[in-house]
Amino acid sequence: MSKGLLLVENLYKSYGDLKVLRGISFNVNKGETVVIMGPSGSGKSTLLRCIVRLVEPDSGKVWIDGVEVTDPKTDLKEIRKHVGFVFQQFNLFPHMRVIDNITLALTKVHGLDKEKAEEKALKVLKKVGLEEKAYAYPGQLSGGQQQRVAIARALAIEPKLILFDEPTSALDPELIGEVLITMEEIAKEGKTMVVVTHEVDFAKEVADRVIFIDNGKILEVADPEKFFTNPEHPRLKSFLKRLLERV
Amino acid sequence: MLIEAISNFVDWFIFVINFMWGRIPFLLDGAKLTVYIAVMAFILGNLIGIIMGVMRVSGVSILEAISTLYVETIRGTPLVVQILIVYFGIPIATGIRFDPIMAGILTMGINSGAYQAEIVRSGIKGIPRGQLEAAESLGFTYWQSMRYVIIPQAIRIVIPAFVNELATLLKDTSILIIIGVHELTRRGQYIAAWSYRYFEVYVTIAFIYLVMVLVVSRVARFIEKKVRIPGLGVAGGRL
Repeated sequence: MSKGLLLVENLYKSYGDLKVLRGISFNVNKGETVVIMGPSGSGKSTLLRCIVRLVEPDSGKVWIDGVEVTDPKTDLKEIRKHVGFVFQQFNLFPHMRVIDNITLALTKVHGLDKEKAEEKALKVLKKVGLEEKAYAYPGQLSGGQQQRVAIARALAIEPKLILFDEPTSALDPELIGEVLITMEEIAKEGKTMVVVTHEVDFAKEVADRVIFIDNGKILEVADPEKFFTNPEHPRLKSFLKRLLERV
Repeated sequence: MLIEAISNFVDWFIFVINFMWGRIPFLLDGAKLTVYIAVMAFILGNLIGIIMGVMRVSGVSILEAISTLYVETIRGTPLVVQILIVYFGIPIATGIRFDPIMAGILTMGINSGAYQAEIVRSGIKGIPRGQLEAAESLGFTYWQSMRYVIIPQAIRIVIPAFVNELATLLKDTSILIIIGVHELTRRGQYIAAWSYRYFEVYVTIAFIYLVMVLVVSRVARFIEKKVRIPGLGVAGGRL
């Protein structure tokens, strides 16, 4: 069980009759960036949520850094303290300034004092290029800037793993680039990332491996080169055809 | 002809001003009681509303059932009937007797509580699900998420509706005339009854209510401005 920072084993999740995840298993090594692709409704978002039990899986196991997340005795708070989550809709707290969005978890969950937390917040904001927006409110920023703040918020806790749930899907096309660049920089620094996205170029350039999910099952895992140029599964072939036509 | 009409009107108007002017202190005493009852009922309704509203979204089915039953029963029956039950019914059934003012505050507070519970519920429901998710993903407990993320936002959504409720209470206290509370409307009835100046008296009273409600809504607008989140519209959308 020691190999891999994230291990997912045989995960199942249903909503009533709807089987969303039907036996998902994969692992992510330390420092790796894994991209998950698949048609909408294929269970990608649910999978990410199950990893930190924002959604409770029906069965299956998840380990992060050797600790079993799915063990009922595990302190979820302790797990989530070390896993960043970036949402499609950013989910910044609109009633707090950018800097307070970042320091809130640092002070209330990680127990840092205010001064240290703010120092840290400014550091991660600088990293995403938004230091000058520290005292603005999220509503005063563009979508791309909001998502970069959300990434900074995830980075601030110095996570072992960051999960990205379609981080650019809610953005206007001209704002996607800045977010992808930020993510690429983080990946190059050796952060371990799992990214659900439809951005082919990002997957090609940044991913170590790409996973294709359809209908709650993993149908193919490959390095990006093979994934995009020589896919095996017919469903992946037709998915890529549709995806590339769209661009 | 026209001049005569105008002069008649001016005479009447001067008479009304003179007549009502002397009655204003008497009416304002009633208005004070109106405000007192409305504010006390509002506070009681606030306590009930917050508890019932949070229960309604707690996800605990027994609490949800209790709160739903409360809200549906109170909102599904007329306020006048509720007042009659509390003031005339309960003393006979239980021997517990309230004076009219107390009965008024209790009934209107209990009644308002049901409406305020709905306000609280819609305020909490109005916060996108992603906010709780984001807070929990950062390692907050459910109650920390509520305290730092959900409630501060819900309060802002809820303020206009709360103030609206206070204005409604101010006006609705007038039906306490049926149990003889000497509030504004009741005092108007006295004056009208001996002077036969029904029109003049009731218009004056309507005017006093209007002033009170306008003051309340002005204060509300001030508070709303104070707590407004920069970059956010009234509906919570981005500007």
